[in-house]
Amino acid sequence: MLTKTLAILIGLIALAVPIAATLGWLGLSLQYLESPMPLHRALGDIVWQTGTDFLLVAIPMFVLLGEILLRAGITERMYDGIVKWLGWLPGGLMHSNIGSSALFAATSGSSIATAATIGTVAIPQIKKRGYNESLFLGTIAAGGTLGILIPPSINLILYGLLTETSVPELYLAGFLPGFLLAILFMGTVIVLCLLNPKWGGQKLNATWRERIVALPSLIPPLGIFIVVVGSIYAGLATPTEAASLGVVAAMALAAANGTLTLSMMRAAIEGTMRTTSMIMLIIVAAVFLNFVLSVIGLTQALADFVTGLGWAPMQTMIMIIVVLVLIGCFMETLSMLLTTAPLITPIVVALGFDPVWFGILLMVLLETALITPPIGINLYVVQGIRGRGEMLDVMKGAAPFVLTMFAMIVLLLIFPDIALWMPSLFY
Amino acid sequence: MIEKTLNQSRRLSLWLVWIGGSLIVCSAFLVTVEVFLRKFFNISIGGADELSGYAFGVATSLGLAYALHERAHIRVDALYLVLPKSLQILTNIFGITLLIGFAGIISWMAWGLVNDTLEFGSRSITPMRTPLAIPQLPWLFGWLFFVLISAVILITALVRLLSGDLQGFDRLVGIKSIEDQIEDESTL
Repeated sequence: MLTKTLAILIGLIALAVPIAATLGWLGLSLQYLESPMPLHRALGDIVWQTGTDFLLVAIPMFVLLGEILLRAGITERMYDGIVKWLGWLPGGLMHSNIGSSALFAATSGSSIATAATIGTVAIPQIKKRGYNESLFLGTIAAGGTLGILIPPSINLILYGLLTETSVPELYLAGFLPGFLLAILFMGTVIVLCLLNPKWGGQKLNATWRERIVALPSLIPPLGIFIVVVGSIYAGLATPTEAASLGVVAAMALAAANGTLTLSMMRAAIEGTMRTTSMIMLIIVAAVFLNFVLSVIGLTQALADFVTGLGWAPMQTMIMIIVVLVLIGCFMETLSMLLTTAPLITPIVVALGFDPVWFGILLMVLLETALITPPIGINLYVVQGIRGRGEMLDVMKGAAPFVLTMFAMIVLLLIFPDIALWMPSLFY
Repeated sequence: MIEKTLNQSRRLSLWLVWIGGSLIVCSAFLVTVEVFLRKFFNISIGGADELSGYAFGVATSLGLAYALHERAHIRVDALYLVLPKSLQILTNIFGITLLIGFAGIISWMAWGLVNDTLEFGSRSITPMRTPLAIPQLPWLFGWLFFVLISAVILITALVRLLSGDLQGFDRLVGIKSIEDQIEDESTL
């Protein structure tokens, strides 16, 4: 049963069948092969229930929020503002790349959009200020991955849905590791630039006066972040409600900036619906597959098989991490999350790990998938915006940050409280 | 003839996206108002969650056809990129055929669900007791429209393929290159 499942899954993915159709047909064929019951009859109900689930209304809201912010004209000023605060560190603007990515990713939630937006602003600065091009590009690619982990993350909502884990709890858990990882990225830049001072390019010293003057440019993204994440943490709003508040706040911000026009909203809506409909088709397929897998007992069989191996839990966990890193080299993050989370989480829970903690670990693994060759979407985005030179430069520049992510994974394994401490205060 | 149908279907799917997207924007305001009333005045108008759920379901199904027109559906191209052109064409046809098939089965089951709703006059089990037919009919329409449009796209792609227009074929059912994706993300 397990072999058949994996064979169909890998076969369809390798043939570049759209992920939604891959998951759907995997479910349908497993039903045909393994189940005496016509499980597909549940599809109408599953699609309606999942498609109108209030929790998932957060998805179009967060996507719309990001689309509006992208068009509200705040990114460049935010970047310049962060330069004033971080530019004095060894590595100069590279810290600004990471800092702005962390902040922008926190509000927009899309890694591609983050890397594309920050990249457009930052890349012209490489030659002007004499940075090591490779490492500079690496900071943009790596910084863009932070959006998956720092709340509000759509990926955490999807993990919560598929594994029946509380999304507010996941949001609390992601906060500390997300910012810790951003700091570790900056630490990596500092260490590399201290070892090779030539890589660091020009530092930018700003006076305190300039820093204070730059603060207003940081208020919009920080304000949105506080509205959205703060209202969840304060218990004022559910994730979906917070996302709706964020949309209204972003529209107000665009209006204040004079960028709230009908054509802007139309473009934002088109982008939002394109992404939302695409994600929802995959999600209904994934929920149906999840249902088939549990009815035919595959999830249980897999968990039994792995626990039956008699390995120590930590040994198994390390195996799982290795496998996921390898999968991440070839798969794009959303597909990877939706195919692996329902299968692997029950195993992990059976071994005695906390599903909230594993959710956070999985997010870090998805982040590595974004910048590991050959298929690391952020590498391609950064190279695409750069528009010249070799892809290899970006890969080389991102490599140190892959190691930093591995360090983060080790930290999570040794100190699970990095993720679990904040939820423990509230729950 | 078929090209004309394709263009019209594209325009129509854009209209549906604007309608669906407006529903989402309205939901955002509705939910915001409800949160403020609840927190500051302790009044619950209630039902904002239910209504925005319906808006979401309808908007998503109305957007499916546009997402396909835009080739937004994620495909893993690790192997695809190293395949010879002829096999790439085959996987493109295979991929969209499976997508149509899956959407077709969903639509068929959704049809059954709506049929039951109409027959029994089902209402939601919430204080609003919404007659479910109201949100379910436009939702079903979105799915049926999606199946229809994907068939139009597949047929047009095949016509282009047979007339030797390989680029035109790729623009309809090929995998989007990274350059196209960046363009999508940065049309500001």
